[in-house]
Amino acid sequence: MSTKTTRFVKIALIACALTLIIAACAPAPTAVPAPTQPAAAAATQPAATVAPTAPPAPKPTDTPAKPVDIELWAQATSTQAPAPPDDWVGYKTIREKLNLNLKYVIIPTGQDGETKINAAAAANALPDFFQAVSTTNARNKVIDLNKQGLIAPVDDLLKLMPNRAKTHYNNPASLAMAKIDGKQMAFVEVPNLPRREGVVIRKDWLDKLGLKMPTTMDELFAVAKAFTEKDPDGNGKNDTYGLGGFFDGTWGQGNRFAFFFGAYGVPDTWDWDNTSNFGLAVRNPNFYKALVEFRKWNESKVIDPDWATINRDEFRIRWPQGRYGIMWEDFCALACVANYPKFDNNFPNGEWVALPTMKGAVAKPYYNSYGGLGSFFAVSKKAADAGKGPAIAKLLEWMASPEGYYLLGFGVEGVNYKLDKNGAVTTDGLSDPTKAWNHESMARFTQMRNQLIYDNNPNEVLARYPDFVTDKSKKPMSPMAFYKFFSTQTWQDSTAGNLIVNPSNRADLQRFYNENFQAFALGTKPLTEQTWADFLKALDANVKANAWEESARKNLQDAGILKK
Amino acid sequence: MSQYAGTPAVARVRRARAKPDVPLAMRVQRLARAMWKHRWYYLLLIAPLTYYLIFRYIPIWNAQIAFKDFFALKGVEGSPWVGLQHFEAFFNSFYFSELIVNTVIFSLARLILGMPIAIILALAIHESRFLFFRSLVQTVTYLPHFLSWVIMLGLLLGLLSPSSGMINEMIKAAGGQPIAFLTSTAWFRQVVVLSDIWKETGWSTILYLAALLGISPDLYEAAEVDGASRWRRIWHISLPGIVPVIVLITLLRLGNILDVSFQQIWVLYSVPVYSVGDIIDTWVYRSGVLDFQFSLATAVGLFKGVIGLILILVANSVAKRVAQQSLF
Amino acid sequence: MFRSTNRDEWGFQLFVNGLLLIVLLIIVIPLWRVIMTSLTPLDVYMRGGTPMFQWPWEWSFAAYEQMLTHPTFPRATLNSVIITLCGTALSLFLTVPLAYALSARTLPGRRLIIALILFTFLFHVGLIPVYLLVAKTLGWTNNILAIIVPPAVGVTNVLVMMRFFEGIPEEIKESARMDGANDLQVLWRIVLPLSKPILLTIGLFYAVHYWNEFFTPILYLNDQNLQPLPVLLRNILIGQNFSEYVDYDVSRAASIESLKSSAVLLTMLPMVLVYPWIQRYFTKGTLLGGVKE
Repeated sequence: MSTKTTRFVKIALIACALTLIIAACAPAPTAVPAPTQPAAAAATQPAATVAPTAPPAPKPTDTPAKPVDIELWAQATSTQAPAPPDDWVGYKTIREKLNLNLKYVIIPTGQDGETKINAAAAANALPDFFQAVSTTNARNKVIDLNKQGLIAPVDDLLKLMPNRAKTHYNNPASLAMAKIDGKQMAFVEVPNLPRREGVVIRKDWLDKLGLKMPTTMDELFAVAKAFTEKDPDGNGKNDTYGLGGFFDGTWGQGNRFAFFFGAYGVPDTWDWDNTSNFGLAVRNPNFYKALVEFRKWNESKVIDPDWATINRDEFRIRWPQGRYGIMWEDFCALACVANYPKFDNNFPNGEWVALPTMKGAVAKPYYNSYGGLGSFFAVSKKAADAGKGPAIAKLLEWMASPEGYYLLGFGVEGVNYKLDKNGAVTTDGLSDPTKAWNHESMARFTQMRNQLIYDNNPNEVLARYPDFVTDKSKKPMSPMAFYKFFSTQTWQDSTAGNLIVNPSNRADLQRFYNENFQAFALGTKPLTEQTWADFLKALDANVKANAWEESARKNLQDAGILKK
Repeated sequence: MSQYAGTPAVARVRRARAKPDVPLAMRVQRLARAMWKHRWYYLLLIAPLTYYLIFRYIPIWNAQIAFKDFFALKGVEGSPWVGLQHFEAFFNSFYFSELIVNTVIFSLARLILGMPIAIILALAIHESRFLFFRSLVQTVTYLPHFLSWVIMLGLLLGLLSPSSGMINEMIKAAGGQPIAFLTSTAWFRQVVVLSDIWKETGWSTILYLAALLGISPDLYEAAEVDGASRWRRIWHISLPGIVPVIVLITLLRLGNILDVSFQQIWVLYSVPVYSVGDIIDTWVYRSGVLDFQFSLATAVGLFKGVIGLILILVANSVAKRVAQQSLF
Repeated sequence: MFRSTNRDEWGFQLFVNGLLLIVLLIIVIPLWRVIMTSLTPLDVYMRGGTPMFQWPWEWSFAAYEQMLTHPTFPRATLNSVIITLCGTALSLFLTVPLAYALSARTLPGRRLIIALILFTFLFHVGLIPVYLLVAKTLGWTNNILAIIVPPAVGVTNVLVMMRFFEGIPEEIKESARMDGANDLQVLWRIVLPLSKPILLTIGLFYAVHYWNEFFTPILYLNDQNLQPLPVLLRNILIGQNFSEYVDYDVSRAASIESLKSSAVLLTMLPMVLVYPWIQRYFTKGTLLGGVKE
């Protein structure tokens, strides 16, 4: 009997199965966009280095240099849309005009994206040029990457892009946030319109209850109480709250209730007005006053009690349902054509109006604090060592040139957008409206625009946040009117907060701070002068807040923000 | 009694082990003979053990970064040693003992409550005579396993929110004060444990059901002939039949006692319930956000491993004595 | 003496099925809500959340439409299918021999091997040690092997399968050996045909793991043509979160809650379809059914 033969057949079968599995699963080599010139021609040419100052002029096609490969990692403008396809006209143009093979990899938003960058950094596998994403502090990320020796200074590259420096890198204060030991370690891009949020109130509810616009914190409380208790929507149910919001996971009051503390002069975690003895805002007696008031609001149940649990999604489901009378919201999330109709459909007679800074509590109230920066982009050390720096500069400069700006920000002229006689971007008169640059299906072709392309020029802002008339109530809406109102209020500048390096026990410190803040605010812990003083002492004793304040002062002194 | 204890092979090994005075040469010879006898088994082991060597032991080698200040450019071996610094960062946390307590409470609750419920459900499904109904129950109960915790949060808010949740509406209708289940330190743990049971019980019955199907129908027939009641048959045949799986799962769960479903806590907890809800993994995650977390996360992983190792060794010897079952 | 009568049996069945009915309701009601949420039209949802019941003609499939018409949906589904099939095949290919070899109680070195395997189960070394191996040592960046191979063997699954193999009576294997079969042939001809329920169970566990995996693809894969379905669905959902930066005209036909729910139901679907087929093997009592004492 040939049992041996059978054995071998069986083993062979299993081996085959394994080979098949591996073979079936191993992907085909990633499709790299094919170079336009024949491979043979490219191979015969010596690998010419790209001249740093080479103008983005059309290349003669008969003597092409070998294209430089640039891998770019950046977040997407619309995460739900895919990355541009391999045959995208943008890649083609960049290859023809700049002699670059660009490969754009989308990194996920939030923690996932940061983990991806961190992991790549740990394996020394960072791409040539990438967005240094961070969920807490982008400067900290740049410091870490620099400490690891993984990124290269970009001072020399800045000189290679005179036009982009004017449109994108024109704010020395924000550029300084990516400076380490006098060297520019990353580019700081343009933020997505600063100071864009504000307080809004339901004007229709005020009118129904015969109340006037509040101007002080006391009046605001009276209005919030009436909104909660007097059935402002007239539906016969006790289902409304004066103030809505949520905890955004940062420090203490977070961004949504910062206006409340701003009325007491302490909108931020840090007490920026106290330059002589700079420290945490909780040290300021006004913070205690604000907290006492905030607790009163909570105990009177005029704030949606879910605020400590719900997230932004839930918040943005609740206000269009008419649950809140007052809230802190982003102008576009409130009033843009993509967002406002949700509210308008439910309440055609509803109307939100902006509220200015609340007066009366302290002499110098603030609307809120602002410290947001645009995204940070860094060049990896590996890419710099391979001489790719000038190529990256060339790409960035081209992105700020009219050709690159319109192509990557809006698409192809005549197909995706048109320019009117004032030079403003419009979609009127396009032969195929589904090809308009702001149509969802076109989003994949302008994925880089929020990160690297837009510079907030007036024409661009008009195109991005157009006025419109609502479908249901036929009301004219102007998102930019809200923006103009919000951004011209008195804001506290906390940009320098980005310079403060996180303490090594940040997780504990932040938890201790937030836990106590919410216990005081929600009334689960008695709030008196004594318990508050005990809390401030415990901050130092238990989680070393004083050590952090000390190092924060040093960070700011080193940067020349505070005097020594 | 274990169902293997009586097999001749096991008895032979026990006898061999009981004679330590056999000369070394003879023992080596015996071992070689035993190994040759099992040559086909070793052939089978080649692929899986290679896998383990590469995909499990190389990472464990890389885990030395827990004792190092990891520098990407220098690699794992080249980075400087820093001793127990990263472990200390964890032990010195102001919340260290609370994190351990919370983690263990969730773990044990799941084991002590979740497992019996899953076993009862599996037995009930197994005993039901209505074939269609029982496959319906089986299919439906395992579906929640696929709901992510983000969806679960939506469901729980719909039920438990103090302002609009269904349960709170009922409490209000009955004249009571609404309860903030998700932000109350008195209720948060119950919500976590019960929602986990709701989500995972059906899925975990699959193993017990498969075990129940492994019991020879002859045993049931014999018991029926003897006139044993349904309850007796469950007690004397079904349960003993799945004891090996129960012991196995319990031991493994104990080994991972410091691992609790991170996703669940991360989605459900909030600042007011940190004191009863914060677990090791959420702490690591929050700490890790801060900078290059690699070494700290690895150090905590090793710490959890040490605790798990001790527990599993103890539990294994207990199981050996009490249930004549062991992992190895 | 306790004798089973028809009445006992009837009462017992009433109790057992009553229990199952209660469990069924506890599970079904919230699940029903998920289904309804996925079908609730945006305007209804924005007015007052998800109603418990809606007539079929009031349903809106906008959320499903948005998912299914995404340009990379077919590609992502294909990737997921490839990852799931290859991953499950590889997992079983490694798990079955390991479990079978370890089920031989007389195997010299058995305890050592189990200890070595358990050791890796206890020590979770975190992300970076594995990443360094996969991306740096093996160079599997942008390669779906990085998704398929590293998680291929689960210790729990190995041990559970081992327990089942141990439960197969020695006599059956012995009789095959008498006929001249070696241990490989015993595994192939005798043990595996008897182990269909456990093979399917463990196979299902592996398949579900691979089907739902989204983190390693995000980590290791850069090319969007390789991304599987869970990553795509996640991107769609996250996209809805950033509405203040979405300054173009998104088709907002579905609420984010509908999208979330429909994404979950879509990912569930293949498993729902596969499970009844697996169940056939469960109810037949394949294992040991043919053994005559």
